Parts: sequence; C-alpha cells; structure tokens
Amino acid sequence: MGLSSHLTLDTRRLGDAAVVSVGGDIDLTAADAVESALDAARGQCTVLVLDLRAVGFMDTSGLRLVISCQQRAEADGYRFAVVPGSDKIRRLFEIAGFPQGHPLFAGAPTELAGGDGA
Amino acid sequence: MSAVPEGDRFELLAAAGEVADGTLLLANTAARLLGLVVPAFADIATLDSISPGGELRRLGSRVDAPRGRDELEAALLRRRPLPDAPVGLPRAIVSSESQLLVSVTDADLHAIASSDEDFELLRALELRSALFIPLRARGRTVGALALGVGTSGRSYDEDDLRFAEVLSGRIALALDNATLSETVTGLERRLEATLTNLAEAVLVREAGGQIVFANSAAAGLLNLDSAQAATQATPQQLMELYDVFDENGRRLGLADLPSSRAGRGEDAGPLLVRNVIRATGDERWLLHKATPVFDPDGSLSLIVSVIEDLTEVKRAELAQRLLAEAGQELSSSLDYEHTLQRVAELTVPGLADWCAVAMRDGDLLAQVALAHVDVGKVARVRDFEARHPVHLGDPAGAAEVVRSGEAMLIPEITGELLAGAALTDEELALARELALRSVLIVPLAIADQAPIGALTLATAESGRRLGDTDLALAAELGRRAAIAVENARLYGELSAIATTLQRSLLPPDLPAMPGFRMASLYRAAGEQNEVGGDFYDVFEVPGGWMVVVGDVAGRGAEAAALTSLSRYTFRTAGKLLGDPIAALEQLNTALRESPALSLVSVCCVRLRTADGDAFADLVLAGHPPAYHVRRGSCRPVGVFAPFLGAYEHGGWEATTIKLDPGEQLILYTDGVIDTVGADERFGEERLARTLTDATGAADAVRRIEQALVEFAHGSQVDDTAVIAVERTARGVVETRAPGRGDAARVAPN
Repeated sequence: MGLSSHLTLDTRRLGDAAVVSVGGDIDLTAADAVESALDAARGQCTVLVLDLRAVGFMDTSGLRLVISCQQRAEADGYRFAVVPGSDKIRRLFEIAGFPQGHPLFAGAPTELAGGDGA
Repeated sequence: MSAVPEGDRFELLAAAGEVADGTLLLANTAARLLGLVVPAFADIATLDSISPGGELRRLGSRVDAPRGRDELEAALLRRRPLPDAPVGLPRAIVSSESQLLVSVTDADLHAIASSDEDFELLRALELRSALFIPLRARGRTVGALALGVGTSGRSYDEDDLRFAEVLSGRIALALDNATLSETVTGLERRLEATLTNLAEAVLVREAGGQIVFANSAAAGLLNLDSAQAATQATPQQLMELYDVFDENGRRLGLADLPSSRAGRGEDAGPLLVRNVIRATGDERWLLHKATPVFDPDGSLSLIVSVIEDLTEVKRAELAQRLLAEAGQELSSSLDYEHTLQRVAELTVPGLADWCAVAMRDGDLLAQVALAHVDVGKVARVRDFEARHPVHLGDPAGAAEVVRSGEAMLIPEITGELLAGAALTDEELALARELALRSVLIVPLAIADQAPIGALTLATAESGRRLGDTDLALAAELGRRAAIAVENARLYGELSAIATTLQRSLLPPDLPAMPGFRMASLYRAAGEQNEVGGDFYDVFEVPGGWMVVVGDVAGRGAEAAALTSLSRYTFRTAGKLLGDPIAALEQLNTALRESPALSLVSVCCVRLRTADGDAFADLVLAGHPPAYHVRRGSCRPVGVFAPFLGAYEHGGWEATTIKLDPGEQLILYTDGVIDTVGADERFGEERLARTLTDATGAADAVRRIEQALVEFAHGSQVDDTAVIAVERTARGVVETRAPGRGDAARVAPN
C-alpha cells in the first residue's frame, strides 16, 4: 500500500494523565497495537489520553477502538480523552457522531496543544 | 711375478662386469667389489666415491689378515686420507693417474699418513706393494680404489698396474650405476611416498596420453582395483568405464577434460564433473585440475592431474539448493499442479533424469507433473500414461507407495526385475525404451496423514544409481510438496466458502422499482477469503423501497457474521416497520446484545412517491454523507450520527430530499473515499467532483469505478460498495440488473 506509513507509539506521563501518542496510519492492521498500548498505559492514571495529532489516516477500525476505550473508561470510572489533530481525523470523528466540542475531546492536559477544550 | 694369475684375471673382470650390470644399492655394490678383489688381487682394499663437489666418501674396506682383521677393516673404514699427500690415493685422484708403489717404505707411509696414529695403522697393514687407481666414468672421477699386498707375500708390478686399470673401468661403472640408481630411486621413493599419501587422487600422463602414474587415491576414486590398473589401460579405455557430465548435465568426452586440454596446450582451468561409474552406477562429483610439466627444451613432458572428490560438498549443496528452490516454488503459487511441475523440473538433471508426481484422484493416480531434459521423451511418456491410467489398486509402484505410505528404492532395475513385474508388453517395451537404471518413489504425505500422491525419481541416461541419500532428499521434497498441496487445497476450500458467504451478503439482483433506476458496484478487498465488511440491500417496504449500504468494522469470519446479522436484521425490521430510523434502532439493539463491541455504519434511504413526486428519507449512522447529484451539482446529504452498536440511543435523524427526474442519489461505503492513491486518499471532495456531471445511475457508478481504477495505487485494501438511485421520468419502470460485463457490475468476482 503506497500511502500507508509506519505506525509509531509513544507512551508518557503528563501529571496524572497517561498519554499515548500515535504516529502513522491506524487501520485494521494497526488497531490492535494501539489498543495494547492504551491498555498498558492505563495503569493508575485518572486520565487516559489518545493523542492522534501525528496520525495521517484512520479508518473505522480507529473509531471502533476509540468507542471501545470510551465505553471501558465509563465502566471503570476514569476519563478517556482524544486529541484528534488533523482536519481529516476531525472529519472522521464528525461523521461518527463526535462533533467538535464533544466531551470525548475534553480533559486532555493543556500541554497537548490542538486538543479541544482542554 | 703378478699378484693374480692370468686365468683368474678374466674371471675377476667378468665378475666385476656382472656387478656393474646389476641394480644393487651402493653399499652392496662396494661390498661385492671389494669381495672380488680381496683376496684374489689384494690383501687390503678400500673403495671411495667422490661427490660432484670433490668430497671423498669411503664406501668400504676389506683386509685379508691372519689376525686383527675386523679392527683393521674398521680403522680403514674410518680413515680419512690426507687431502694433499704427495703419495697415495689423494695424489692419484688429483692427477687422474694410477700410482704403483712396488715396495712401500716407511718414508712412503709418512708421506701418506695424516698423523702418528695413522702412520701406526699403515704400518700395521704390513704393506709391501700398493696400487692407487682413480675410478672414472662418464668423463669424471667418480671414486678411487686402493689396493695393497703384504701378508700374503705377493707384490705388485707394472703388469698388475695395467690389469688394475682395466678392472677399475668395470668397478667405476658399477659404482656409478649404483650411485645413479640410488639417487633416482631415492627421488622416486620420496615422490611416490608423497603422492601415495595424498588424499587427492593424482594421475600422471605422458605427453602421448598414456598414464604413467596413479596413486591409490586415484584408483579408489576411479573404482580401479589398483594403481597399476590405471597405468595398464589407455585413457580412452579408462574413460569408457564412466559416464561423465558437466554441471549442466552435458555429456563430456576425454577431450573435454583438463588433462587433455593441457595436453593440447590449451588453457585448462579446473572442471567440475559428475562422474558416474557405469558398472555400479555410483555417482561422484570430481574436480579435475591439470598442470603441464615441460622439459628443459620446452616440449611437453608430463601432465599431472589432481582430482578432488567433492561429492559430499556438491550433494549437500544440490540438496540445499533444491529444497530452497522447491520451497520457493511451493510457496509462490496456489496453483499446485503448475507448482509441482516446476518442482519436478528442478530435480532434473541434478537429482535424477526423470521426475514424476502423481496425485490421488478418486480411484486413480493422476500424473500431474513429469520432467525430463528431453521434451520428446516427456511427450512419449505422457502419451503412454494418458492411455494407461494408474489405479490406486495397482499391485506395485506409485500405487503401492500411496497405499502403504512407505517409500521405495530400487537401486538397480534388472531385466529379471522387469520380467517379473507383471507388466504388459507395451509397458515392458516402454521400460526398455527408456532404459531406466534406478528408481525411487516417495509418498506425498504430511505426518500421520494418508498420502495424497507420490513423487517418483528415476535415472536412465546418466547411469546413476539412486541411493539412500537420494531417498532422504526425495522424502523431504515429498513432504514439502504435500504441505504445499494441502495448503492450496485448504485455501481453495476457504475461497469457495468466502465466495458463497459473500454472495449471501448481497442481494442476487437489484429489484425493479417503478419510477427509479438503480446501478451498483461491489468490489471485495484483497484476497477472496477475507469476507466481511461491506453490504448493501434493496427491498420493498410499506409505501416505498428501502436502500441501504453498510460497513462492518473489521474483517474475517466475525465481521462476516456481523455483516450477515446486520443485513438480515435491517431487512426484517425495515419490512415490518417501514421506517428507516425504527429499522436502525432495531439493528442497534441487536448489535448491543452481542457480547463484543459490534459497530456498523449505515446509510439508508427510504424512497417513496407522493402525487407523482419522489422523495428520499436518508439516515446516516457513523457513515459518510450520501451525494445528491442534480443538474450538474453534487452535494452531500445526511446528518452525522453515531455508529449502530455503540450507544443505547444514537439520536439518528432523517434528512428528506426531493428527487426530480434525472437526479441521482449516490450511497457508498468508506472503501471509496479511503482508496489509496499515489500520495493521498481518494477522499470526499474527489468523489463529489467525480459525480458532478453524472448523467444517470449507471453513469455515476461507471464514473466512480473508472476514477478508482485510475486513482488506486497498489492493491485494494477495503471493500467498496456503491449504489446509485436515479429518478426516472414518470411512468417509466426500469431496473438495471447488475451482472458480469456490465459497466456497473457486482462483485464478488
């Protein structure tokens, strides 16, 4: 696949938040790796952040992953926030019923510029 | 009076001549010569040889004395004559003239002696007369003979001197021959010891071609009884014992070998040959190297051939390469008959002359691959086998191997074996025509499973006899081939299942909808067996028609099940309820009930007519917008809302548009906009531009397909589904049914 770029994953702590920054493309082949990184990062933090600013492309597998994390966070009582980054990714969230200003984009640390309503 | 009577002189000369003709070693020769002259011609004698450098070497001494003989002989043997003595041996050598001392005085002895002790020794000899004779042969002085008389009462005169000179000629010759022979045999021995002990085979040929030397390694390598056998046969006779081929299987003659090339003055580099011993069929890989040896005048004297046995190395290399290449072939294609043919071709001529692969096909063993370097022979055998199919119940050969799972090796196919093999006349004739020498058959089987076929290797032209090494290699090849065939079969079955499943996910034909015309496009992603993903459906509902396209997140069996569930749930709910939102909520509930998070995106439209106008009520759930194409414009339609299956309440909203005649509504899945191009994705904007000037449903679908084909870079990674609905003029009822060859055709293909 010509466009697909290599997936990169970076996990770090920012205050009481665990941030997983993803680079590259999130498609069916990459979704599992991102989900594993999020599971591993969850630990004792109160906020789990998925930073998608360096993601070039995402398909429904990425959205499925976000919804899955969102539901687990709700069930386990911690916060899950997404920093969507590019317009293309924002558009994807919009199509999936997460318009700008949706609570999904709130709660990421202020250091992560580009996050909505942080 | 002379020391030796006349009659005895001739006997002495004759005896010395015999010694000269013999091939005694130097020490023995000296002893024999001294034994001849003492006591017959002297009471005391010593014999010295002179090296080309002028050094004296005492070869022996003989004394005939009543007492103290051994001591005197030992002392004389140790004695080193004074090099510059004016009298005696050194003088005779330097002047090359014999000396006669008729009566030896003490003054003479003093002149000869090198010390007082030496003088005492000379005195003890009780010499009366002495003769010192230089020994000359081939133009140079090769030694010296000293003779003395005393204790016997004899003395020498001029006559004795002349006789001594004649005798010395014979003695010199004997001495020279012995020296030469010793030098030569010494060299030969050293050379032979070296060559004999070499692990490499060494053959030495004369310029004329005749083999003059072979070591035992050469005899072993060439399957000869002894090294002599090599030197007794002509090179051509030897060559006839073998079939010799180069690495590519080309037959070689004597003239092609490096030793022959070197003999012709050609540049003869090393040559690796496959040497098959005709008598036994044993194969060896031999590296021939030849070095010409020239005489001082520049003419060719000898050709030394060194033959290295590389059989082990070469076999290991061949086996490794064969398995690697076969592995590559076996994994490269799912068309296993084609693959097996390629594998069969890899084995000839390296492993065998013939390779055949047969597969079980009901009660028959079908020949699926056959290889031989000569295509004419292949055609001949194929023709035979087409007329004589092998039944699994046949008593021997491949059928037996497939039944038993046991490999079979016949190293030597004999006439008796053929005669006893219960063959038909035609089979017998073919077997004789092919002149098979050796055959092995291994089952194509995966561990613990019934064989699915057999692989046969046979030799004929090469004369090679197949052995256990070949059997092991063939068995491994058979095992790998079996795995590849099984994989291909499983994959084929999976593909068939996938195709069936895929078909069940799509409507067989788009139904005829009065007042509307439809066209659709469905392209399944990648490999056929990855079902799942997109679906579409068109069905009648109370008061109109429902059209839906959906996309299930994920691929594989689970996704396929989800796709199936979604399509049928939506269809049932839609037919019952007639309302798109109600139908979506029903599907949402069904998806929420499944234990895993099951998400489906959907774009659905209810088409209805009222007073001759057509309306579309469109709902999106996690799906990109539909496009409304109208008088040269293309605009997105729909309100974004969550996926089905994500939340209990999605808040889905319907958007209603009026569709005038000629206007179109295009529904699609994200496979369209996610299509990968050279440097970006297809995207919504490009899709909108593609559709702007669409003239109808079929045109819209055709435009999308064409645009995707032109845009796509690399293989398609996601399913693609498109449905175009066109409002036709009032009263026109038309449906465009998809089918193969249509501009808008329906996958699966």
